[in-house]
Amino acid sequence: MDVTCDIFSKRLIISVLWNIGLQAVIAVMLVGFIQIDILHPVSWISSSINDVFGWKMSINIVLLGLVSFFQAYIYGCYYVKPLPKYFTRFSMFLSLFCTQNIIFSILYALSGYFTMSLYSSLAKSNFNTLKKICENYDGQCLLEQSLFLQMGGMWMGLYYFLNAHIFSPTTLTFPHIYQDKFQQIKLAIHSILSCGFKNSIIPVVYYCIFYYFWGHKPRNVVSDVYGLYLEDKPLDNILNLFGSGIWIGLWFYTSLFLISVYAMRTVFNIVLTEPMKFPIESSKKLTLHKAIAQKSQFNGYLGTQDLKIMSLTDTVRRKEIFTLSQPGGHPRNWNNLLQECLKIVNDFSKELDSINGDMKPVEIEMLPKRPGSSITPKSTLYTGNLRNMAYSPQLHELKEHNKNKSEDTLLSAIKEEFNILVQRIRQKPGISYLFGELTDTRLKFLLMQAQPVMWTCEGLAFIAAASLKEDKYGVVQTDLPIVISTLINLKQNLDKLTKPGLVPRKHILNDSFALKMKSALLSSVKLSIYKIVITFSKYIHEIPLDPDVQIAIQPFLICKEA
Amino acid sequence: MSIFHSFPNLPGPEETAFCKLNEVYCCGNARYGNISTFSNATKKHPIINVTRDLHHHRTSDENISMYIDVEDNLLKKITSVWYKQGFLEALSVAADPSVNRESPTLAVTASYILKVANILTAFRYFLQPHLKDIGPKIVANYSRTRNWGQVPVKCLAWHPHTTKIAVATVDDNVRVYCSEVTFVSTLKCKAQGHVSSLNWRPLSASELAVGCEQGVIVWTVDPNLMFTKPSSSNAVLLKKNGHSPVTDVSWSPNGDLLISCSGADTSMLVWDTAMETAIPLRRVAGGGNVFARWSFDASKIFTATSSIIFRIWDTKTWTPERWCARGHRVVAACWGPDNILLFAAKGEPMVYALTTTSLLSGSQTTKATPALDVTKVELSSGEPVGGPILDMCWDPTGRYMAMLFEESHLVAVFCTTYIMMQLKIDPCCFVTGVEDEIPCTMAFQQNFNDGACLTIAWSSGRVQHFPIIYSESY
Repeated sequence: MDVTCDIFSKRLIISVLWNIGLQAVIAVMLVGFIQIDILHPVSWISSSINDVFGWKMSINIVLLGLVSFFQAYIYGCYYVKPLPKYFTRFSMFLSLFCTQNIIFSILYALSGYFTMSLYSSLAKSNFNTLKKICENYDGQCLLEQSLFLQMGGMWMGLYYFLNAHIFSPTTLTFPHIYQDKFQQIKLAIHSILSCGFKNSIIPVVYYCIFYYFWGHKPRNVVSDVYGLYLEDKPLDNILNLFGSGIWIGLWFYTSLFLISVYAMRTVFNIVLTEPMKFPIESSKKLTLHKAIAQKSQFNGYLGTQDLKIMSLTDTVRRKEIFTLSQPGGHPRNWNNLLQECLKIVNDFSKELDSINGDMKPVEIEMLPKRPGSSITPKSTLYTGNLRNMAYSPQLHELKEHNKNKSEDTLLSAIKEEFNILVQRIRQKPGISYLFGELTDTRLKFLLMQAQPVMWTCEGLAFIAAASLKEDKYGVVQTDLPIVISTLINLKQNLDKLTKPGLVPRKHILNDSFALKMKSALLSSVKLSIYKIVITFSKYIHEIPLDPDVQIAIQPFLICKEA
Repeated sequence: MSIFHSFPNLPGPEETAFCKLNEVYCCGNARYGNISTFSNATKKHPIINVTRDLHHHRTSDENISMYIDVEDNLLKKITSVWYKQGFLEALSVAADPSVNRESPTLAVTASYILKVANILTAFRYFLQPHLKDIGPKIVANYSRTRNWGQVPVKCLAWHPHTTKIAVATVDDNVRVYCSEVTFVSTLKCKAQGHVSSLNWRPLSASELAVGCEQGVIVWTVDPNLMFTKPSSSNAVLLKKNGHSPVTDVSWSPNGDLLISCSGADTSMLVWDTAMETAIPLRRVAGGGNVFARWSFDASKIFTATSSIIFRIWDTKTWTPERWCARGHRVVAACWGPDNILLFAAKGEPMVYALTTTSLLSGSQTTKATPALDVTKVELSSGEPVGGPILDMCWDPTGRYMAMLFEESHLVAVFCTTYIMMQLKIDPCCFVTGVEDEIPCTMAFQQNFNDGACLTIAWSSGRVQHFPIIYSESY
């Protein structure tokens, strides 16, 4: 495995170890809790200790370890890959049935089954075996309660998988401040416990309903296969089910299952999101700019987060950035870093631009041409001059592409006809429902990955601000104009999203998470611009800036930009 | 010899202090005098006088007795009490035989439920004694504003980068005064009750955090829009269970994090306001967190609890260093340049300085030393000054410090210098009110270039700007 995945897999292994420890603690607590005997504390403690160090417990720990490896593998698969793009309902629907999901659902069902039977065996219930000796007949009878519980375990595994991975996106959320791991676990325990007991009610109800309608089928199959008799009253009768009290057991074990899964998830989150210090220059380890270069991957996240933390707190590494390389005297560290940061920000604003570009025809109609405007008519894009500041080669491609389109050949005509036909078919009600692009998905998809962009903007701004005092050679000052114009460009692209009346319906967000992301991104970009502008306010006229950018930073200078 | 005896003499009976110009203490007639005869530095500052605006009363706990009872039927009465004051109050209404004459069975049941509830709450208070006071009482108890519940100005906050001030008035509206525009924006929404603190977001022009009973309200007031009453869609209410009432809000100097403290909550919350998520920083010892102060470089946070414990948090690792004050809780604290901290404990006329010195070996030692003794004395004019400290403010350059006292109606301003690791505090001047005015709260302007500008809210509703001007050439 190469360096890039190294950090991630190392952390996964650490989190699995942490997790096994935590699960063992939960199991021990359960054993102690179940055997509680206030009248005979000595025997209570001694029997608990006996159980804790018994062979059953060690097997349980091994099994729990296996289960948490399962989970780690699944989480790893989800987090390492970039987010999948689904823009239509059809592709979303298809993606539900990919092999990965099927395998994962089986794994989850198994892990649910295991955990459930583990906890029930720890609790010394007699629902671990399907068979029992009949009371009335000669032979073996089915213990339906244990069948009910074991199937319940699988059900809960599936239910959790559907809830956590299919119906809600699995993204790693980095906390904005990182406390000690123990402290975080301590803070999380309360919510894990209460959520576990609360959230387990609904799946239990669903399961009871399911069992009421279809419970006789698995029961018949099992009793046929093992050749067992049915002796007790069947459980797919409401009165029998309630009378047997097995639903309380199911609820208790489900809560335990959920608690253990939530605990795992919390531990993974805590271990994976720990900030990491990347060296500025190193021949062996992964350096900061290389980490940032792997954007939209796990390392990219860690790298940009480290950039922000470094720019705020770490004077030593900042000094390293401001130094010149030793033979040559080039600011290599800064140049490498700047290049990667600008790439992240520019790529993001380009994507935004293309989303804004969808509504271009509308925009041209709505924007009256300003008399004496400095924007030359040849710039096709709205922010023409600003784009040139970023030296975007894509712009030229786009222009040439537009020119080529006008060439009239037979092939292109056929293509056009075909496209129109496809468009027309797509507009039919049923088909557009399935294959039409969903509203806001593209913007949402883009905003989901905005976190590294925010960190990069803030990191750049704070390094630039720190350079006023710490940068002896003026390394950063030469690049200030490009940093400012990049940030302004991103801000203007973001502003276009919020302008009322200009946004087509397709890009109106109705997802609260994406909306929050958008406002977070906007506020962090503004904060970055403010930081640079306020720090350099005395010298701002000495920075060679493009006239458009100069106009754009005026409201920031007088503190009038909302 | 107390430090107060070396202060310049108080202005005469008809006079009041207007400013201090290069060591000259400028006083004038209280009624006809005008600050513009001395200095133009505050010419463009907003003129604030709160009494001129009519307050319309909200039904707070103090004035609820003013309203006349209307005979309603029992069910309506109970439901309305439930809606307004909560379940327990409704129970006590139902159990009260003088109100509930119609159904004695309900009264008996309600009284039994009430007994059980009382036992439970008594047990809860036994475990967590700091929760005993209800919302506004907690705020009033811990507030650094004198008579927080009654005075016209509850608190004020200057914007860090521009001449803009937010003032929370007694009717729980927040008014934003700006130097360039004549109109005043009034921020008001339903959730904004019992405002305890205000803080502008650094590196932003428009965001204001308001700490109130329910939680923190973050207003975004676009400075380009000419609305006198921005709608509540510009406000975001951040709240969390158990974190109420909020007694202090403070933004990080980097503008990215917001800390809210509640006197009834042992954890303080660090908010990411855009994502509306909070991370609790929890340490149980010491009870609720009363207020938090960021150091200038955002590397440290001072938090005071409701007991003698206070903490200095390190923002790299987010771990605290625990300190104990002598005798009482810390009432006021302020950071200065070079990470010096001045703090004062309740009921004690002493200011302590907490300095961090880096040793040659790289390790750091922090120690607290008494820096200034402000024991109560009587001036030659007969005015008492000094005594227990109510509030302290340090101007952003670290040259002037202002102090309010619990038992004196003067504002004392000191000069402070920090040279060669030595903090020196010298007398500067007093600021007095006109007639019987009492200073309630104060703040230094953050972007005053000619020196320092202290803004004082007086009990009459007048808000005074007191500039202390010095030029380097002088």
